[in-house]
Amino acid sequence: MSDFALITHFETWDRAAAAISLLRGWDRPPISIEDIRDILPWIPPRASSRVTVGSSQGRQVHGVCIESFIPPDRLDRRFLRENLARVREAAQVAVREGARIVTLGGFSSILLEGKTDLLPSHPETAFTTGNTLTVALIVRGVERALALAGRDLGESNVLIVGASGDVGSGCARCLAPRVRRLLLCARNPDRLNQLASEFPNLTSRVAADADVTRLSQDADVVICAASMSASELVLGGLPPGSIVCDAGYPRNLSPDFVPRQGVVFYGGLGQASGGIKLSPDFLPIVYPYPLSNLTHGCLLEGIVLAMEQRFEPFSQGRGLITPRRVDEIWQIARKHGVVLPPLFNGMGPVEQDLIRLRNPPR
Amino acid sequence: MMQPLSVRECSAGQTGIWADVLAQAVTGELIGALNYQTLSTLCQNPVEESEALEHAQGETGHAASFTEAGKSLGIEVMVNLEARYWKRIRSSFLARAEAGDLIGCILAQEVMLESFAVASYQVVAKSAPGELGATFARIAREEGEHISHAVQMLQAERARDPHGFDAKVQETHADIMTTLAQMISPKNQDCGCGLCAGSCVKASLPQAGVSLSEVRGASLQRYLRTLDEIGVPSESSLVWVAQLPV
Repeated sequence: MSDFALITHFETWDRAAAAISLLRGWDRPPISIEDIRDILPWIPPRASSRVTVGSSQGRQVHGVCIESFIPPDRLDRRFLRENLARVREAAQVAVREGARIVTLGGFSSILLEGKTDLLPSHPETAFTTGNTLTVALIVRGVERALALAGRDLGESNVLIVGASGDVGSGCARCLAPRVRRLLLCARNPDRLNQLASEFPNLTSRVAADADVTRLSQDADVVICAASMSASELVLGGLPPGSIVCDAGYPRNLSPDFVPRQGVVFYGGLGQASGGIKLSPDFLPIVYPYPLSNLTHGCLLEGIVLAMEQRFEPFSQGRGLITPRRVDEIWQIARKHGVVLPPLFNGMGPVEQDLIRLRNPPR
Repeated sequence: MMQPLSVRECSAGQTGIWADVLAQAVTGELIGALNYQTLSTLCQNPVEESEALEHAQGETGHAASFTEAGKSLGIEVMVNLEARYWKRIRSSFLARAEAGDLIGCILAQEVMLESFAVASYQVVAKSAPGELGATFARIAREEGEHISHAVQMLQAERARDPHGFDAKVQETHADIMTTLAQMISPKNQDCGCGLCAGSCVKASLPQAGVSLSEVRGASLQRYLRTLDEIGVPSESSLVWVAQLPV
């Protein structure tokens, strides 16, 4: 029996190759990306490692990581049917493991957002997307970034890319009453308009557009929360000194994008101060940053719910994340020792860079 | 990928490729027949013994079917029981048999080799011309029945001693699956297996519409799913497969 299960997928091919090379051991040549591209799509979803996470309340919870083996270059609609089949099979593995709560991490949450009837039904197993705690960590990350930069959220124009998604819309609901302007960007105009209509009293402060470049020109804070199959987003037109939170998995922002005199930090991540142990230990591969006990908020949600003995589908569907629910899961997470990590990106810590925004260069 | 051709349309170049493919298939089936005959000597009751001998006959029948299908393409199928990898597999099997290791033998033949056969035949069937395609497809189905038969028995065996059973699977895997992986590795394209009439057929398979990547991938997938059905922990089998030669 497991307290929890985490359904995962690799963000990039080089991380997949590194993980398989870890399993091969030091005495065998590492597997090349070319070979892993050939082999990985054939591997059925399966348990990949055992997880133990400590609560600051003293107890530990034990779980299993279930790798879905969705190929990193097939995270888009063209492969929806096969990806859904993989996630469903991974969910069945979780049920067989006796997991009492299962988080569908990252891209695998698309199953829960629209097609709950495809999940295996078991009275002892609850499924969650983990998106509510993800929203909590993103919002708190933005708050911290602004505080470091000496700025006021109430004076900020916040752009949300991927606004009509579950995470994006959750961020919108949390931030709408608190910001100067809320700029909503998404591909689907119907869903975008539906989201904008949730703020009837704020119409003068809310703008919605499918054109991210147009909206970028007015933004000084950006939250990237789109479901993108590759890291390709370039925020053309962003004013100098902007703060950008990339909470995508895979990352939304192109590695070539650098905001003019601005700062990018990775959002939606948390640290479990009670410790996370994986065996085999894939953490340094998935999170190649000098921060310990780091993982995604979606995965932490299932973990803290297990710690709290609340085996319930806390986050399901799309558009149901409210500020009240965000506060609720954040309180649970804090109770068990989850904290916002120091802000960072792929190049390293960024908190000093944010502080420097207080005195922008002339 | 090229479309499968009718018997009439199979070119001379493709005939050579199918000749080498059939040489592998027929040799593999005959090795299987020998393995089942050996297995019959380890069986603990007349029913099991009779079943093993029936399987041996079945494998011989498969070899005959492939040979006949080859003739319809004008191919005289080569057989070489001393071919490098098949000989190694047979030797490994005999070593287990001599040690009285019935379960190891069943794992080797009915799980590892049959998984490879089922999956690779299904892939090849899609591109094989005319009668040959139907033959591969039929034999793939029949080999699949061997796997199903073994799974039930092995589930019960594992229930008796899970740790001991998993250790045996690991040990047999390291031997048999390593040899199979080397045999079908795309990197090993001059492997001197002793069955290809000219140069290694692996480089030419795409001309016949067969993807070696698909053969390898489908075989690994079938094998992993079979181990899952038996109840072997999936994170263990993941490690074992990750450690195979690529």
